[in-house]
Amino acid sequence: MFVKRILIVAAALSYLGFLAVLGAAYFIGLKQVSAWPQAGAGTAIDDKDVPKVEKNVQQLEKRMSGLLPKGLYIVIDTAENRLYVKKGKEIVRSAVVSCGSGVVLEESGGKQRKWVFDTPRGEFSVKSKITNPYWVKPDWAFIEEGESIPKGLEDRIEAGTLGDYALGFGQGYFIHGTLYTRLLGRNVTHGCVRVGDEDLKAIFKGVPMGAKIYIY
Amino acid sequence: MAGFLCAGTAAGADKADLAKKQTSLNSEYSLAKGSSFYFVLDVLGRKLELRVRGMVLRSWPFHSVRFWGRPEFAGNVELVRKTALKAPKRIVIKPGGEAAKVETAPVPAADPPGTSALPANPESFDLEALELKDMPMRFSLDFDNGLKIQVKVKTGASGGLLGTIREIWRWHVDLPLRNIFGPHTGTGLSELELTFEKDKDGQAIYWHFFEGIKGIII
Repeated sequence: MFVKRILIVAAALSYLGFLAVLGAAYFIGLKQVSAWPQAGAGTAIDDKDVPKVEKNVQQLEKRMSGLLPKGLYIVIDTAENRLYVKKGKEIVRSAVVSCGSGVVLEESGGKQRKWVFDTPRGEFSVKSKITNPYWVKPDWAFIEEGESIPKGLEDRIEAGTLGDYALGFGQGYFIHGTLYTRLLGRNVTHGCVRVGDEDLKAIFKGVPMGAKIYIY
Repeated sequence: MAGFLCAGTAAGADKADLAKKQTSLNSEYSLAKGSSFYFVLDVLGRKLELRVRGMVLRSWPFHSVRFWGRPEFAGNVELVRKTALKAPKRIVIKPGGEAAKVETAPVPAADPPGTSALPANPESFDLEALELKDMPMRFSLDFDNGLKIQVKVKTGASGGLLGTIREIWRWHVDLPLRNIFGPHTGTGLSELELTFEKDKDGQAIYWHFFEGIKGIII
């Protein structure tokens, strides 16, 4: 009986101890949170320094706006499958596109190569502009279809697949047309950006060589 | 007298805003000079933005924010880890070899145009692809300064009663105790929880935030 009482008291004390520790921990956390830095906290400016800081801010804003690309440029959102042609901060044209599927293709035999079908992200520029482009099918296109890889270049060339125009932005990636317009808006490509005919034509005609492309 | 005091307070706030603007512009300019994407998390302004060269690519306003621990994490940070309970997995295709590691529907893109039996709405069918809808709505971002940001969406299911209990336990018991006794020697724990309005916001953040992305917290 005595032992049982001792155990109950010990359990109660442990529980109270836990609550006390928890309460203390909670209180410390709340105290820390209350120290959230409000706007400009800790950076006091003297009245005499205000004009200097204002000038500095203006200069920084000017420098920041100078970082924007000059002329027309392209912005591509790979998640939403949207392409925007922009000038400064203004959207000149927007289009529904198809970006990379994110699928991984593994070669089962041979060199056991691996491809990841992502649209590359980052800052690029228009490196080439091609009318009536031919698709030179890379090795993965044959591997994906379970076909043997041809030796001759002529067996790799396919006309019509890329639409009427293509804008190359390096490493074999293009903004091009598509036969599969019903899939625009979905992530289905092998890394290139597919655009509908009308939008592609406008982009091709409007965006000059060297224009910046931002893919995110 | 009261008007005089108000004017003094407003002038003080203006100066504070100016100081904040200068600090954030200085921090941002160092990132914007490069060609990499970066983010700006404005905690008090309640928005998270993805930017490049000073231009805003995407902006996600958040519905609510709560934080725990030491708030001295403002400034330049780098994302070191992105973790989700249900992280999306890439579909692996191995033609002619073993079966695909992830079984999905056939690729509609392989059908000749005009012959496929796709539904009218292209959003409604499954593709053999990793898309925005496959991204998690709830995940955490760990930064190089020890800050952890939990991202969740308002509309996302809380996981029922069990999920609610787990959440209460995590926020009101686990975090306070870890804050005091955890392995954050000397620095304390810093956790920020951002709740976004739409499912897609959370998913888009998961999509666009990659490990190594730099950013500014203001």
